[in-house]
This record gives sequence, C-alpha cells and structure tokens, in this order.
Amino acid sequence: MKKSNNNKLGIIFTPIIFCLVMCLALTAVVLPKYDKLSSLLGMFISDTQIDYSSAYENIFVPTKNSGDTVNAEDVDFPGLNKQFGKLSIEGADVDAKLFYGDGTVPLRNGVGIYGGSFIPGYGKTILVAGHNNTYFNGLKNVKKGDIIKIRTSYGNYEYKITDTAIHDSKNTSAYDLEADYENLILYTCYPFDGLGLTNLRFFVYAEKVKGPEIVGLYE
Amino acid sequence: MKKIFALIAVVLIAVMSCPSVFAAGLNASEQSVLSNMRTPANMKGNSVYVPSSYINQAEARFNTMDMTADQASRINGLINAGRAFLESTGKKSMKELTSAQLSTIMGYASQAAAVLDVKVPAGADTQNLKIINSAGEVIIDDDGNVIKATGAEAEFDFMPVMIAALTTLLVFCTAGVIVRKKALQYEKEQ
Repeated sequence: MKKSNNNKLGIIFTPIIFCLVMCLALTAVVLPKYDKLSSLLGMFISDTQIDYSSAYENIFVPTKNSGDTVNAEDVDFPGLNKQFGKLSIEGADVDAKLFYGDGTVPLRNGVGIYGGSFIPGYGKTILVAGHNNTYFNGLKNVKKGDIIKIRTSYGNYEYKITDTAIHDSKNTSAYDLEADYENLILYTCYPFDGLGLTNLRFFVYAEKVKGPEIVGLYE
Repeated sequence: MKKIFALIAVVLIAVMSCPSVFAAGLNASEQSVLSNMRTPANMKGNSVYVPSSYINQAEARFNTMDMTADQASRINGLINAGRAFLESTGKKSMKELTSAQLSTIMGYASQAAAVLDVKVPAGADTQNLKIINSAGEVIIDDDGNVIKATGAEAEFDFMPVMIAALTTLLVFCTAGVIVRKKALQYEKEQ
C-alpha cells in the first residue's frame, strides 16, 4: 500500500521536477539570446501584420524652398511620430517617409529622427534610424560622395556622404549629439541581411551641402 | 561628459511639454532653463550632467511653445532644488541613491508636471521617460537608448511559445512516466 502511494507520488512529481530542471536549463541558455531568438522566430511564426498606416499624422507638404534660410516661425516643428518629410538616396534604393521619433510607428512606416537630435536646418546633429530589412536595406549600396536628399515642408536639403562605419550599438563615440554644426547620421542594423537582432550598426555620415538654415531660433 | 542624473532630467523634460501654443524659437525664459539644465550637480567631487539627448529634446519642445518668465522661474527653482538635493545626499553617483532619495527626485518631476499641466505617467522612471500632455498625447517617449534596435523585426512575443513548449514537455513527461510505471507493473504481474 505504501509502495503504491510512493508510485503515485512519483508519477506526479517526477515530470514536474524534470520540467523545472528543464526550465532552469532553458532559461540559462535562452535568456541571454531572448531578443534575438524572439525576433528570429517571429519572422517565421508570426502570421499577423499590424497595420500602422493610420497610426500617424502626415504634416509633409512638398515645398520648392532650397534657398539659404527659412524663418523659424515658418517651420512647423513636428510632434512625436509625425511624418514631416521624405528621405532618399539616388542609386542606393533608399526612398522613405521621414518621421520625427524613432519608435515602432515611424520605423514600421519609414525612417525616424531620434528626438534627442534635431531636424534638418537646425545646424546640429540629425540622427536617423531605419530597419535593415526594409527602408534602410539600401544603405548597403551607398558610397562616399553620394547625395542624401531630405524634403520637408519648410525646405529641401542635400547632404554628401563623407564616411561609413560599423559600430556597436552602445558605442557613444559613433555620434555626437552636442555638435554645433549640421551633420546627418543614418544607421541601421548590421549585417544587412542578417536574421534577428544584432548589436552592430552600420552608420552613414554626411555633411550638409545645400538647404535652408533655420534662422530666428534664439530671440 | 559624465553620465547624467536622469531623474532630474524628468523634471527638466517635463518643462518641454507646456500646452501647445505654437511659437517658434527660444525666448529668454526657455534659454534660461536650457542653460540651467546644462549646469552639472557636484556629487562629492563628481560632476553629474543631464544627458545632451535630454537637453536636445527639451530644446526641440521649447520650439513649439512659449514659456513665461514665471514658469521658467518655477522650473529653474525645481532644477536648483533637485541639484541641491543631489549634492546633499553625499553620494557620488545616481546609482548610489536610495529608493527614498529617488522618490524625492520624482517629487520634483511631479511638481514641474503640475505647473505645466502635463503628466509623468505612474511607473515612469529614469530609463523610460514618458511625458503626456493634457490632451493625452505622448509628447516625449524615450527608452534611454539613443541607438535603437533596427534589425529584422516582427510583432511577436516569444514567451507564449516557451510556455506552450514547456506545457507540451510536461504532458509528454507525465505520459512517459505513467507508461513506464504501467509497463513495470505489468512485468511484475507476469
């Protein structure tokens, strides 16, 4: 009778203990790679496509202004997650909507300026993110001297690519948010055709060659 | 630049979320707040700065509003109080602050938010800054990472798959143990 009870307890607890051990082992193995695995599996398993196309406001109205200046009062400073322009690189297959903010909605629909950087014409750093499997996949085709065009409602800009580099995402020397001159930095995950997330980023550095400076910023 | 005191940044960033009365450019009040934000706190000889990314966000928001001299004065008062509090803790860095000290800093953030009619949502912390205006619109949303994840992505949660896999494993293990016990019992009976 006692042995029979032990058998029943064994039937109940053996699988549980085994599973707990497996859980611990899997956690130890999987946790450090959770993001990568999640991202990778999602590409194969997820069958839902979320439509973000109506989740943002578009304030971009094309203009012909490519002059030297534009008054600050004529600039509609964009709010978070709003499309306020377009970014393209001829010959590199890059042509995307430009958003203010670099969260899910902007990066699902185009490329986005980090809120801790500035908009074109401001005279400071412009840091733009885009996914490597969509709008910034074409960055693999760029070369020094190529021209990046940004169109906004208040002016049209051109930036010449001066350099490209691969850095770790935590490498703060890859950008300078305190620069007092206008410079454009584009980045995306590297390698371009890799599956899942990666710590590496491909950076494109460019200097302004054309486009109106925003004047009257400081009263 | 040394790492900054991010909680104070919440206070500072809250400033940028004033009711949207559009006025491009930075007036004297806004410039005084930005200047104050750039002043480091001296924590036992360590200069602790607000990250430039937060100051830049403040500057960007200041371009979409008009800050009055009174508002700037109150905000600067909160910044000064926060800085003085930090310096009085006797700690060398933000990481050394206690929960109570962090709560005090968050208190300054809440006061600033109240002045400007914006909210710092419950649960907001120094790693995930979020500011909501009176209309419920998210004005600032910063997870603390300047460089984002831009790899192939999908809206997919790995956890349910893990749970399903482990549940399946549990079922199979139970079935396996039962079958094995039955087999052993059958052998004994034979």
